[in-house]
Amino acid sequence: MAANSVMTSFIGIDIIFSAIIILIVAYILIRILTLLLQRFSERVLQYRIHVKMLIPLLKFSIYGISFYIIFASVLRLSSEQLIIFGGLFGAAIGFGIKDLFAGVIGGIVIMLVKPYQMGDKIRVGEQYGEVSDIGLISTKIVTPDDNLVSIPNYLVFTQTVASANAGHREMMVVIDLFVDNGSDMVLASRILKEAVITSKYVFISDKLPVSVLVKEYPYYLRIRAKAYVNDLRYEFEFESDVTRRTLAEFAKNGITAPEMKIIGN
Amino acid sequence: MKRNVLNSPYQFTIMNQSAKILGFDEQVQNVQKAIADFESGKKQNIAIIAEPFAGKTSILDIIEKENSHLISRVPVSSIINNKGKLTIASLNKIVMIDNCHFLYLRKIGGFGVLEAFLNTISASYDHLFITAWNLFSWNYLESAVNIGKYIPSRINLPKLNDNEIKECILSAYEPGEITFVNDADVNKEKIIHVVRHPVVIKPLHKTFNMVFIRIDFAILKTKFHKTEDEIATEDLIFKKINRISNGNPGIAKAIWEKNLAYPTVKLSQFEHFSYTIDLDYHESFIMSIILAMRMVTKESLSNMGDDSHIDVILFRLFEQGLIGIDNGTCSIKPEAMRNSVELLHKLRLVW
Repeated sequence: MAANSVMTSFIGIDIIFSAIIILIVAYILIRILTLLLQRFSERVLQYRIHVKMLIPLLKFSIYGISFYIIFASVLRLSSEQLIIFGGLFGAAIGFGIKDLFAGVIGGIVIMLVKPYQMGDKIRVGEQYGEVSDIGLISTKIVTPDDNLVSIPNYLVFTQTVASANAGHREMMVVIDLFVDNGSDMVLASRILKEAVITSKYVFISDKLPVSVLVKEYPYYLRIRAKAYVNDLRYEFEFESDVTRRTLAEFAKNGITAPEMKIIGN
Repeated sequence: MKRNVLNSPYQFTIMNQSAKILGFDEQVQNVQKAIADFESGKKQNIAIIAEPFAGKTSILDIIEKENSHLISRVPVSSIINNKGKLTIASLNKIVMIDNCHFLYLRKIGGFGVLEAFLNTISASYDHLFITAWNLFSWNYLESAVNIGKYIPSRINLPKLNDNEIKECILSAYEPGEITFVNDADVNKEKIIHVVRHPVVIKPLHKTFNMVFIRIDFAILKTKFHKTEDEIATEDLIFKKINRISNGNPGIAKAIWEKNLAYPTVKLSQFEHFSYTIDLDYHESFIMSIILAMRMVTKESLSNMGDDSHIDVILFRLFEQGLIGIDNGTCSIKPEAMRNSVELLHKLRLVW
């Protein structure tokens, strides 16, 4: 009863109104800054991922400052009110908003530990795609099929998170081709290597070389190319470009696909 | 397939028969030292590397003139026609080859001639090879096929400074022959520009123009160094030409010739000299090949680009003033090169 009277004594309509105004201003500010930074990042392609990384940082900072202003200036909580508020907040977490709160903590961990960044290609559980947004509660990724998938931030605590490019614009792509084991493997490897190094999407340097590996299986040869695409957005175009041109060249040189063999009587 | 080796329509005579006026005296000395070392038994094949129009052929001409009795100059077309092989027995001990970037094509099976050539020069212990390469081709080949291990000694041509560009261009004229006119109020050059970009608000389906501020750092730098009032109009013009050409003498000369209304040249013609480039990724890739070759036939481009829309792409490049097309041969426009290179660097299509 006493707690109720204390709470109603400081939460007036004007305070609620002020808090809402602060949150709306914060939201609009975040939207504008996000828009500006996203446009800017596309203009400075070589620093795209670094610029985009500022977006979640800004979001967390602006929301953090907004909540601080609401609690410190608008509500002006006394120590007694703070204890009551803390109790109610704890109960709320226990009853319903546990995941919401874990999401916020997960977001802060993502900011600090950086298991992935904006623009990275990540795999979380069964989902794979490019990180388009790291929000307060969840991370949004765009899958290769152009689906927008929301992944709760707290999954960084419980799931394995793989980042294919770890904040870099280039990314390794592995391309496997299978040929009949009677094929000329030297020629096949050479063709695949030349297809990779002449691709319009390839990125090669001393530290990021192209390698071609051959492995023999009972009924076929696997020829694997490992190379870096110059921008992770072209991952599938790179793979397709190399595969298409290699297979066309294989056909010209009599290198055939593995034959289906029937085993047994 | 028969390969075409092309001669440039831009035959820039950028030298005054001396290495000094080009600003390449140090590079010429390095080559001379390599020749002297070779004569005393130490061999290191040389690659002279530079952007298109930067003076590779001129420096080879100087070296050939100074060592004419020692050098055989072999056209790259003869190497291509012999599939990368050289009949070196009939040649002098020093072999000079220009435009070596024509020895490969960026396509599957396009490295055979280059490999044969590199094997030939590796196996030839009693000949020194002085080769000249397009910078963008060299950087690509260095990453893709590690060409540097065959030609270990690299000489990169430097960017020229304002005075060197001035000397280089004015060497073709008598003193006082050209009139320089300051018709631009240079003090009115803005450091800060207000530019508007359309921004789409998706939820509202509306577009509005957002105001951005752009700072011209080049002008800001000039203001800090020296007030433009203190600089003679002549020097100011060459400063601007050098800024546009990025120290490349061939580009500087092309810009000069384009803006010269003999015998007068006006400062205002060099203001805001830039190209607006709007290319998609495939168009940019074709542009990167032309840049790496400087000149290339449409047929070769079609093979390398692996693109059935080559005519449309070339039209787009031509329409934007980035390339010239003459009898099925595409060549890079020197005055547009700097902007093209900036774009291709951003896209990681040149290294």
